[in-house]
Amino acid sequence: MSASIEITNVTKRYGALAVLDDISLSIKAGEFVVFLGPSGCGKSTLLRMIAGLEDVTAGTISVAEQRVDTLPPGKRGVAMVFQSYALYPHMTVAQNMSFGLENIGLPKDEIERRVQQAAATLEIAHLLDRKPQKLSGGQRQRVAIGRAIVKEPKAFLFDEPLSNLDAALRGRTRLELAQLHARLGSTMIFVTHDQVEAMTLADRIVIMHNRKIEQIGTPMEIYRRPASRFVAGFVGSPAMNFVPLRSVAANGRTVTIGASGLGEIHAAFRLPASFSPEGASLGIRAEDITVLPAGQAGIALKAEVVERLGDRTLIYGQLADGTKLTAETDGRSEARGGDTLQIALDTTAIHLFDAAGTAHHSEGD
Amino acid sequence: MTDQTTYRPDALTGNRTLLVIAIILSVVMMAPVAWLVGLSIKDNKELMLGTESVFELPYTLVNYVNIIYSSQAFGWFFNSLVVAIGQTAGVLVLASLAGYAFARLEFPFRRTIFVIVLFGLAVPEQAVIIARHQMFNWFGLHNSFIGLMLPGMSSAFGVFLMTQFFKAIPKEIDEAALLDNASPLRIFWKVLLPLTLPAQATLGIFTFLHAWNDYWWPLISATKKEMFTLTIGIASSQTNFAQSEGLGFLSAQAVFASLPVLIVYVIFQRHIVTAVSGGAVK
Repeated sequence: MSASIEITNVTKRYGALAVLDDISLSIKAGEFVVFLGPSGCGKSTLLRMIAGLEDVTAGTISVAEQRVDTLPPGKRGVAMVFQSYALYPHMTVAQNMSFGLENIGLPKDEIERRVQQAAATLEIAHLLDRKPQKLSGGQRQRVAIGRAIVKEPKAFLFDEPLSNLDAALRGRTRLELAQLHARLGSTMIFVTHDQVEAMTLADRIVIMHNRKIEQIGTPMEIYRRPASRFVAGFVGSPAMNFVPLRSVAANGRTVTIGASGLGEIHAAFRLPASFSPEGASLGIRAEDITVLPAGQAGIALKAEVVERLGDRTLIYGQLADGTKLTAETDGRSEARGGDTLQIALDTTAIHLFDAAGTAHHSEGD
Repeated sequence: MTDQTTYRPDALTGNRTLLVIAIILSVVMMAPVAWLVGLSIKDNKELMLGTESVFELPYTLVNYVNIIYSSQAFGWFFNSLVVAIGQTAGVLVLASLAGYAFARLEFPFRRTIFVIVLFGLAVPEQAVIIARHQMFNWFGLHNSFIGLMLPGMSSAFGVFLMTQFFKAIPKEIDEAALLDNASPLRIFWKVLLPLTLPAQATLGIFTFLHAWNDYWWPLISATKKEMFTLTIGIASSQTNFAQSEGLGFLSAQAVFASLPVLIVYVIFQRHIVTAVSGGAVK
């Protein structure tokens, strides 16, 4: 079963302190949506408001076109997986999974059927008689998911469920979650501050910052066409390079950009007449910078630190005027710290950010 | 990384010192108990000549047999049992409910009321004993089990202990239960209360021991011999032991009085060390 979720003008305040400000969001039935943002941006609070664990100060929340923000958590038809798993320590795995079903008065044989089915799906059937303290982190995680699955909810809510797992297990569980979503077809909302989780799992990512939604889009939209300087800097590793602008001159669709240390760049942009280089910056990702072969002229970049990641090499350096820039090249690069390299920018992948941080994308992108 | 098998002279010396101190303390604490048990299995006539005979044969169980036939100790034992169990049950119920309320529920003046409850820790029993005696007199509660149990049920320590224990349980557990459609009462009863078992065991032992050993309030409240608890009963029989019952008999009564406490402690000790909530929440 899956359901749409509608969040309309939702605000959350603790006294005078605003935590979420006028949030609106539509989630389609069966969609996997990830709330991504730095700590304290309000993403977990929004999830908890959907679950009913936090009151809504203003606005409405609907699940399957039924308003739920006035209902208690157990009546909203959603199931949540907590970061800490929150399993009942004194109950066995089977009891943990069946507790919610007993509370709604399901017949015992139906409870048994659902628990067995979920346990088989998650491969935890052999753990049903164990208590949580006898399980590993990954097994507890599965039990927590199983406890959600048996309720056959309209939507699953995940509050940073992978952050307690080690790197290898996190990667595996991420894949299993994606498979689970494909199999169940349920609506899922997943909160994380890990952009890899967001990029790999989401149908759509909701980037949150400073109590507001900064951008909603597919992972590639967020990555290739960030709506703001914050999104551009937050998503992607290494972070996008930002170079202060000195001048902008438009000639039809071709814009001549003067940026610190980069000289003059010609690119296709549709900039508003009001666009001013004052406080503005040019943004470009490391992989959109090409390190030119020796002897070929380009923009000089003095390498300071070279990071070899195997499949690729990151070069952290500075331009002629001291502006910092990170470039990416292939794993076989022989560049060393102290070398002066010649680089070229992919002008179709350039972004301009005005003083307010609003993004303008190269039309070639 | 530290190799755990590495020989460390300082640590070994430290452990041995601790062991010696522990043995000395154990001897100091166990000596009176051994002395009491020794006296209880000696004939009264021998003890009247001198207690050194405790180290010599013969030993006898006659004092224990006499408890059955010639003393009211069984009646007092029963009274103590009723009072101690009743008081322990009362404290566990009230302290658990109050602890849950102070730790989890939102209600007006919660903190103020909690501080007022904690003031109970600072007020000595002696300061309120006259007022309490008078109040129980008005209500006709003296010489009754209720009268003996009631004062001990208001345990400020118990409320404090349970409040702290409930606070230590992660709120996500409650929230998971809320999402599992459990009512507040069911969350308390089926989810949180079982997690407080270690605290309940500790509080239960403290309360039981206190109630079992209490002398002050039963001395005031129980004036009829048939309502005496063991502590009062044994004390009352001390007055004429030299002429009739003797030191061995009195010691046997004391050993008899200590047995339930020992049994209760042995049973509950296991619960204290079992951390039920460990491992389920990161």
